[in-house]
Amino acid sequence: AQGTAQSAEFEFTFHHFLGPKSPAQTQMIEPWIQRIEEASDGRVSIEIYPAMSLGGTPPELIRQARDGVVDLIWVVNGYTPGLFPRTEVFELPFIHTNDPKATNLAMRDMFEESLAEEYEGVEVMFLHVHAGQAIQMVDQEVRKPEDLAGKKMRIPTRTGAWVIEALGANPVGMPVPELPQALSKKVVDGAFIPWEIIPALKLQDLTDYQIEGADKTRFGTTTFQVSMNKDRWDGLPEDIQQIFRDNSGEEWLAELGEIWRDIDDGGIKIATDAGNHHIVLTEEETEAFREKLEPVVQRWVDDVSGKGIEGEAMVEAARAAIEKHAGQ
Amino acid sequence: MNPAASALPRPIAFAEKVIELWALAGGILLCGIVLLTAYSLFMDIVFGAPFAGDFEIVEMGVAVAVFTFLPYCQLTGANVSADLFTSNASPRTVTFLVFLGAVIALLFSTFLIWRMYYGMVDSRQYNEITTVNGIPVWFAYVPILISLALLALASAITMIRSAKGVPHTGGPSLGGE
Amino acid sequence: MDTNLLIGLVGLAGLIGLIVIRIPIAYAMIVVGIVGIWVLSGERILLSQLKSLAYGQFSLYDLSVVPMFVLMGNIATRAGLSRDLFRAANAWLGWMKGGVAMSAIAACAGFGSVCGSSLATASTMGQVALPELKRYRYKPSLATGTVAAGGVLGILIPPSVVLIIYAVIVEANIVTMFTAAFLPGLIAVAFFIVTIAIYVRLVPNAGPPGARVSREEFVAATLGVLPVLAIFALVIGGIYLGFFNPTPAGAVGAFLVAVYGFARRTVGLRDMRIALLETAKTSGMIYLILLGAELLSIFMARGGVPQTAAMMMAESGLSPYTIMVLLLIALIILGCLMDSLSMILLVMPFFWPVVAELDFGMTEDELKTWFGILALIVVELGLITPPVGMNVFVINALARDVPMIETFKGVVPFFLAEIVRVVLLLAFPSIVLFLPRLLG
Ligand code: NA
Ligand code: NA
Repeated sequence: AQGTAQSAEFEFTFHHFLGPKSPAQTQMIEPWIQRIEEASDGRVSIEIYPAMSLGGTPPELIRQARDGVVDLIWVVNGYTPGLFPRTEVFELPFIHTNDPKATNLAMRDMFEESLAEEYEGVEVMFLHVHAGQAIQMVDQEVRKPEDLAGKKMRIPTRTGAWVIEALGANPVGMPVPELPQALSKKVVDGAFIPWEIIPALKLQDLTDYQIEGADKTRFGTTTFQVSMNKDRWDGLPEDIQQIFRDNSGEEWLAELGEIWRDIDDGGIKIATDAGNHHIVLTEEETEAFREKLEPVVQRWVDDVSGKGIEGEAMVEAARAAIEKHAGQ
Repeated sequence: MNPAASALPRPIAFAEKVIELWALAGGILLCGIVLLTAYSLFMDIVFGAPFAGDFEIVEMGVAVAVFTFLPYCQLTGANVSADLFTSNASPRTVTFLVFLGAVIALLFSTFLIWRMYYGMVDSRQYNEITTVNGIPVWFAYVPILISLALLALASAITMIRSAKGVPHTGGPSLGGE
Repeated sequence: MDTNLLIGLVGLAGLIGLIVIRIPIAYAMIVVGIVGIWVLSGERILLSQLKSLAYGQFSLYDLSVVPMFVLMGNIATRAGLSRDLFRAANAWLGWMKGGVAMSAIAACAGFGSVCGSSLATASTMGQVALPELKRYRYKPSLATGTVAAGGVLGILIPPSVVLIIYAVIVEANIVTMFTAAFLPGLIAVAFFIVTIAIYVRLVPNAGPPGARVSREEFVAATLGVLPVLAIFALVIGGIYLGFFNPTPAGAVGAFLVAVYGFARRTVGLRDMRIALLETAKTSGMIYLILLGAELLSIFMARGGVPQTAAMMMAESGLSPYTIMVLLLIALIILGCLMDSLSMILLVMPFFWPVVAELDFGMTEDELKTWFGILALIVVELGLITPPVGMNVFVINALARDVPMIETFKGVVPFFLAEIVRVVLLLAFPSIVLFLPRLLG
């Protein structure tokens, strides 16, 4: 990427919304690019433009890739609710539970048959999830769903808002950068957000309680995509396409699961080192959340059935696929 | 609304009135957003239950309101320029430069109508909605395109005005500094 | 030099050219941005990006507070707050030598606490204070100079539109910026009042003492200012103490000022109409410049200009303080030519990456805050310096019997006070950072 002296045969722009020092860039995007560049023997060069430096707002990233404003993007699917209803199945609570690797691989399994059609105009390099939504509270201990009743919680995504509603809390939407202030002043009581974000927002200073289910079970997750403009992809020779494919396959997705798991573990360590309470719910307590959150899955099924998507079947398939890859 | 209007033909005076009313409509929308936000805050503080998704309505509403303001800004010469370098230029020169500015505004607004029309089509085709309330995003593009059409109209009026040597009517705005 | 960078520099030259020939600054940025993106990246990228760019920028949540504070200021302008403020200040300070001018400064500070704009503060307070200063036979240059300078407090004391825009550009926290501006704002008020005290001692008869008010008037005037203080305490205090975020605060502020105006019958539907149209002009102007700045910064990013500028500065071997001072001087010079908002939007995308590389022994967030306050002050100095000093123009439109040059002369002592303040804040960053650290 940086400082390529001679111009490569295939040059790409890679646009994303986080800063150049974010773990997403340093631990995922940069290694991925480096491998592709190396495998291509310098024929491919990919320049990263972090922090929306090529203009626009994060919800516009998918348009930018579709329209060829940039060649490659990394983005949260949930920034444009309505565009990726099928992939949303993997965001639902207790579909993804605790294993980003398994969910990554499951999404890959189901991609061609069930998801591909909603990625119009782009060639998906890979889809992935983070470790999953945990509960981070300013000063409220949470052990059962009732503890969240009436609390104001920042939503991660559309389906995340449903999770919060199902638990009897109030979903509050706000941009991520506003979250620290909102927490410090108790404009919100907490957020559904993974540990990974803790250092970036200094949540260890702003919250007292980090809560997750038994065995790292989370309450839904967020799906991300790395995609290339379709025309750009179609114009690449097969050997170059193959290089992208080789470096975005099962092996990479499994590794990526580990990467996000590690980033997440690093986050919770910072919180516990700072003296925060890391609450891991017991099996029974987790089960109480599962019962409360089951209707969210049905809500999604009803929501997408209007769009001609067979929700029930997708839920089954997603669960089976994740099950297949679990604990590998 | 402005004394110079009488110097111009009746359709132009009518168009100016429409542009002003359109900006006022946007102002009333802004007041509506202010009230909604204040109401949401009140409900939040008193009952712990803010208006669901108020922030996405603020985002959308403010965007629409600000677009309604643009034609009025053009018409009243509210867009600041650095007048220092031309302070000694002849009135003819200044009028010509104002004309040039209006040409740019006309070209830009026409260009943006063309582009944002496709922005609306895309948004509709790909079913972009807001996160909490599921409002289709393309709704916002409809009043915005009307605003841009009025911006083109306002630019044309400023072109005619400067061609006829009629100055701006509004003067610089006082609020922004 | 690589071609893209060269194109970037040609673009900057073109931008200056367009601004010089009086093309509105927003359109100058838009034209250069569009042409630049086209040349560097081709028409497909340009045409595609403009489908959604304007909507994306105009719907930024962080910015939606701007029209709200603008509306609040415009209603406040019509609600008679300025009269209450001046009356109260005059009851407290008016009897001193130079006291009426000091009252004008204090009232400007009070008005600045509900209004996010310098020009609105200067013009509103000018209408109230200038007749009084004339009545007490203040030296004309001192009278107009005081109000022109006092107007600057509109921006230095939160809420402040320019500060919000700065925060959005460099991704700083708006609340932190507001908190940081508070102490420097108070220092400005103190310095201005001391400046007047010194001036009236050096120049005989420049500022005769006003009349002492009766006890009843003193109480009535003091009580009359309480609603304004209450609104400020609620809105800005509410932000500091965390009852709400800036956008709801702006909404509540606009709402309360309107209620106050309606209740006192100083604001009617007619005033609301004018306030809305003024808000339309100001907000429209601001957002159009924002769009231009976004287009320009896309062009520059594609040309690699900001990165190169930051690298060149870093390799120049100059000390951090030297670079900082050079940047501030550049801002003062630019401030003579442009309005503060356009300037912040135009230069911050280049200046901030340079500053971010400098080591002053503070965190990046603290550096953002400190530099933002310093930049804000010097940028606002442009409002009172020749040849283009918008505050001076506005005040002179109100005081037609005072020659422009007199007003500029009258501003000089305040300008010097501001320079002292900048040096003070440069030498002691903790004055800026103290409150944000305290309130977290
Ligand atoms: Na202010
Ligand atoms: Na100036």
